[in-house]
Amino acid sequence: MSQCETIQESIGRWLDGELPATDSEAVRSHVAGCADCGAARQRLEKIQLTLGSMLSAEASRLEFSPFWREVQRRIDEKRPWHEELIDWCRSTFSAPRLAWAVPAAIMLVLGFLSLAKWPVGGETNNYASVESIDAYGRNVALLRDDKTKTTIIWLYQNPEGENENVEETAKPGPAF
Amino acid sequence: MLKKLLNPVLLFSLAFLAVAGWLSAAENTPQAVQVTIRTILAGDKSDEFDPKLKGMEQQLKALNHRSYRALKDETQTVPWQGSKAFEIPGGRSLTIAPQEFQDNRIGLKVRLTHGDKPLIDTTVKIANKGNFILGGPAHEGGSLVLSISAAVQ
Amino acid sequence: MELSDWQLVEKCQAGDADAFQELVSRYHQKVFMVILGLMRNREDALEVAQETFFRAFRKIKSFQGGSSFYTWIYRIAVNNAIDAQRKQKRNPLDFHESMDGLFEARNEVGKDPFSDVHDRELRENMTKAINELTPEHKAVIVLRTIEGMSYKDIGEILGCSEGTVMSRLHYARKKLQDKLSDFL
Repeated sequence: MSQCETIQESIGRWLDGELPATDSEAVRSHVAGCADCGAARQRLEKIQLTLGSMLSAEASRLEFSPFWREVQRRIDEKRPWHEELIDWCRSTFSAPRLAWAVPAAIMLVLGFLSLAKWPVGGETNNYASVESIDAYGRNVALLRDDKTKTTIIWLYQNPEGENENVEETAKPGPAF
Repeated sequence: MLKKLLNPVLLFSLAFLAVAGWLSAAENTPQAVQVTIRTILAGDKSDEFDPKLKGMEQQLKALNHRSYRALKDETQTVPWQGSKAFEIPGGRSLTIAPQEFQDNRIGLKVRLTHGDKPLIDTTVKIANKGNFILGGPAHEGGSLVLSISAAVQ
Repeated sequence: MELSDWQLVEKCQAGDADAFQELVSRYHQKVFMVILGLMRNREDALEVAQETFFRAFRKIKSFQGGSSFYTWIYRIAVNNAIDAQRKQKRNPLDFHESMDGLFEARNEVGKDPFSDVHDRELRENMTKAINELTPEHKAVIVLRTIEGMSYKDIGEILGCSEGTVMSRLHYARKKLQDKLSDFL
């Protein structure tokens, strides 16, 4: 980008007084000495002046009394209930509030889903789902304790007493 | 600063990141599983209840034995699709192999062996940080009760 | 001694109708100018300006003074104007008639600072060019032109950042220069 292109990008902000002091001085001194940038400044100023004049001329024709009478009439007039409702809806559900209510709602939903998935405090479902058991011919019991939501797999000892010492026979199993 | 924090665009971005993170957390397999095996001896010769088992009292009551004594606790970190063996009293071994993690439940393959003889193979899905009980093998006049719990890391 | 805007607002909130009339008297022309810059014709702009003060009256009790009164009233005005434009169903032919009305009005006043034909063509095309901008771009250029407001104040009125105001202004000015290059 040439220096003039850079300066012309900043002329608007310079005219608006929105440039920092050092940049403002740099633009001012360049514009003072450059025909192209000087012309760019004039074009911007002309647009501003013309638009401002057009609107000022129109506004100067506006008389206060009839204007105020009309405003007062609206204030005094009782509006139909549906217009009141629309007004209320518009002020309650205006775009900026709605705009951040939506992500807030998304986060709330996520929060609920997360609680459902990973309960905080409270009871976790501790039941195990048993997908397969192979006890190699031994008897096995699959039990669920409702109180503690615990799954119990109980392996009964082989009738031939394969479990360790023959004299150390365990009880057949818990008395469910 | 507060006004900027309440910027709807920023909040939408945060919500989007939260959704992405949530989905990612829901579906991604964590790196490893921490498995804890608590070996308990259940018997009927006394009414002893090991105080170390206080947290499991209600679960153990379901087994209807008179006494419970904690024999051993062992925790190992087991990688996904890997396996680790836990030594169980009486020459036994318990091998745990984590298979999957979905909907906050851990799929495990479990094998109990006596020497090199398999006693039981089972595939279970338990709640993350939950447990199940595998019991029955005879030991020292009572029965071994294994509390198998797992938590993703 | 003239009361400040905030003092008048406090009096309005206490139920003083005259105080509100004073506020309207101070701002009716400026508000009308802003709305006229955003709307296509005078009648609609007048209607929206009156509605703006009516709504301000209804909301005045909730005005906390967090912003200046003029920022607050302009915000209501701009939002009303943009809403009205969206509802507008007038066709382009009506627009041209309105434009002619603007010029006639100036002749009635008898003071035409732009007697030059070139400037007249500029004004004619200016209205067209302005109306081709989006409401958001129109709003920044009108507020800056009429009121000489800072980017910060404009941003407060339009509910956007200073950076957005700056880029919209830059874009709007560029567009206007492109469209009016033959007349500038």
